[in-house]
Amino acid sequence: MRAHPGNGRPQARRPHRLLSVAAGVGAVVMAATACGGSGEDGVVELRFSWWGADDRHETTQQVIEMFEAENPDIQITAEYTDWSGYWDRLATSTAAGDAPDIMTQEERYLREYGDRGALLNLDEYGEQLDLSNIDPLVAESGDLDGQTYGVATGVNAYAILADTQAFEEAGVEMPDDDSWTWDDYVEIATQISEATDGEIVGTQSMAYNESGFQIFARQRGENLYNEDGSLGFSQETMEEWYSITEELLENGAQPSAAESVEIEAGGPDQSVLSTNQGAMAHFWTNQLGGISASSGGDIELLRYPGETTNERTGMYFKPAMFYSVSADTEHPEEAARFVDFLLNSEEAAELILADRGLPANVEVREQILGSLPDADARSAEFLAEIEDTIVDGNPPPPIGAGQVVDIIARVTDDMAFGEIGPDQAAERFMSEVEEATGGA
Amino acid sequence: MSALLQRRPAKTSESPAATGPRRRVGKAPTPGKQRRENLAAYGFLTPWFIGLVCITAGPLLASLYFSFTDYNLIGDYGWVGLDNYERMFTDERLHTSLKVTFIYVFVSVPLQLAMALALAMILDRGVRGLPLYRSVYYLPSLLGGSVAIAILWRQVFGAEGLINQVLAFFGIQGEGWVSHPDYALGTLIVLNVWTFGAPMVIFLAGLRQIPAMYYEAAEVDGAGPVRRFWHITVPMLTPIIFFNMVLQFINAFQTFTQAFIVSSGTGGPSDSTLFYTLYLYQRGFGDFEMGYASAMAWLLLMIIGGFTAVNFLASKYWVFYGD
Repeated sequence: MRAHPGNGRPQARRPHRLLSVAAGVGAVVMAATACGGSGEDGVVELRFSWWGADDRHETTQQVIEMFEAENPDIQITAEYTDWSGYWDRLATSTAAGDAPDIMTQEERYLREYGDRGALLNLDEYGEQLDLSNIDPLVAESGDLDGQTYGVATGVNAYAILADTQAFEEAGVEMPDDDSWTWDDYVEIATQISEATDGEIVGTQSMAYNESGFQIFARQRGENLYNEDGSLGFSQETMEEWYSITEELLENGAQPSAAESVEIEAGGPDQSVLSTNQGAMAHFWTNQLGGISASSGGDIELLRYPGETTNERTGMYFKPAMFYSVSADTEHPEEAARFVDFLLNSEEAAELILADRGLPANVEVREQILGSLPDADARSAEFLAEIEDTIVDGNPPPPIGAGQVVDIIARVTDDMAFGEIGPDQAAERFMSEVEEATGGA
Repeated sequence: MSALLQRRPAKTSESPAATGPRRRVGKAPTPGKQRRENLAAYGFLTPWFIGLVCITAGPLLASLYFSFTDYNLIGDYGWVGLDNYERMFTDERLHTSLKVTFIYVFVSVPLQLAMALALAMILDRGVRGLPLYRSVYYLPSLLGGSVAIAILWRQVFGAEGLINQVLAFFGIQGEGWVSHPDYALGTLIVLNVWTFGAPMVIFLAGLRQIPAMYYEAAEVDGAGPVRRFWHITVPMLTPIIFFNMVLQFINAFQTFTQAFIVSSGTGGPSDSTLFYTLYLYQRGFGDFEMGYASAMAWLLLMIIGGFTAVNFLASKYWVFYGD
């Protein structure tokens, strides 16, 4: 159907008509689809997002089913990914105005979303959401300017996980974590690698997570961030911390730079403990259960080195995660009811156990202590033991703190591959974090 | 439908000016028929056109606007003028990402084209079962940009991957190829070279177009295979080489999936696979700096546009279109 062969002018006019027709049709189509969407059969549909590994996905699905059985007017759709994909996805869907109604949040990102009005002020839904039993240690951790934008799921501490079998195989004695120093840590890790000829590596790199450095800085009376969000540590402190990693690398006491890249990319499931290739690793206490399961061995929790030999103790309790509700949700009351169930239902807690930290609801925590599997019972015990040694909590991280996850990985990679020394690593970390958090 | 049909003539009479100056060449169909056919054509075009406006043009213009703002995906934003563009001069990671991308483009595309041409020439010799080979070699092109292949690549080149198992068999202790900054980009270049199928098929078609008599004449005159290649095959193929080159360069500049999957989205180790698009993605979706990311997207567009323009200008001097 060539209507106008070789004639320029009529063809040149065509786009106008084409445009107007298309624009007309387009407008109709868009108008028709714009305000559809919500199922009107009396059942409210909500979406709940979280990150994690397989075992968390399974138990959370069960919790959702239980909730739906008790609340036939609400249906929950699960949206789960691993940790690294989670934030990309949440950012994109939030930008598109399509954020999940209930989302799992984390300390470093809460402000990013809360301060920009993407989260619902949960104080307004006190009728649906009971927060009276939350552990005072973390009760206000999800507050921004005095208003609740996130509710702590549970309590956590960053600690060293040690595989007793690996220690036995290497013929190295478990350290006494009430007195060990950072030098002891390096020495023990080195001994293990040497005794097993590298079959079992002493420790997984500690330099890919700033939480460990935070403890290190606190032991010296400093901190990662100050109250006002600026950096709270000196360059010397960080240099010293990076030097430990350098020494471990030189001694072969931790995986090589390239190996570390692969291990870190794999998350807890690929940690040296999970794959039985190492004796120690740095993780959150709620990860003990998962890692014990994949390792199959007997894994103990140790206090950080230097807790008793420095200026003060550095370990701290952290809200493991937060439950938050999107500011865009069409059903805030139903969403609050679901959060209430996650927090306060004993049946839900019996399933979740300590996977999202030791439950923040102290009553529920008491009730499930008995049913905690061995590993989680030990982390509960561990938390109870160190509680008295903890000096204080941490100020909320500044906006942009989420970027630190990537920054520290980059800087650590560069140092591990020998491109920069601990001094430059410290310098770069500080300047990049300052840029990301806009503080100075 | 009948309502539509009835309304149309009335509309025409209302606006004769619109159709007045239209000149028809040859024997024009009756206005009514013409109109109906046009309408049908527009109808069929509409889905595509909606796509163009909503999915391409709209976001394109939006990103141009955002590139002058501090849009952060979630909250309010304001006009910041050229700040985003100025910032690029001092952003060291941006410079790293440009370096990585240029190395990737300028190493992998020539290698890929050479590979494609070499295989096309072998296949052109009249191998038995040509369609089968053609499909087999084309297959990586279909898969190369996919997530699955990138994951496979990570496994194959991992510390305990296939490559190192083969090397171990020969007593060589291999590196973790994708997790070492000296090799990670190399593995991605190999991945791109491996997807030589698409240019190969085009080369194959081009080779078929070269009249056999040229070769015969050259052979009679005593030209060996190397001479025949350089003096017949290459000149005759230059338009095809040019076409493939432009296409593959543009593609390579926009590489994202492979680097994203292989490095778990970090561009690591040590930013050695920080492709431009990956960095853009990190800025936009990881750091919530969508304004800056938009500006980066426009810089990439300018780079690709400029580069393609240079390519076309240069083509005058080496591409031979026959007569």
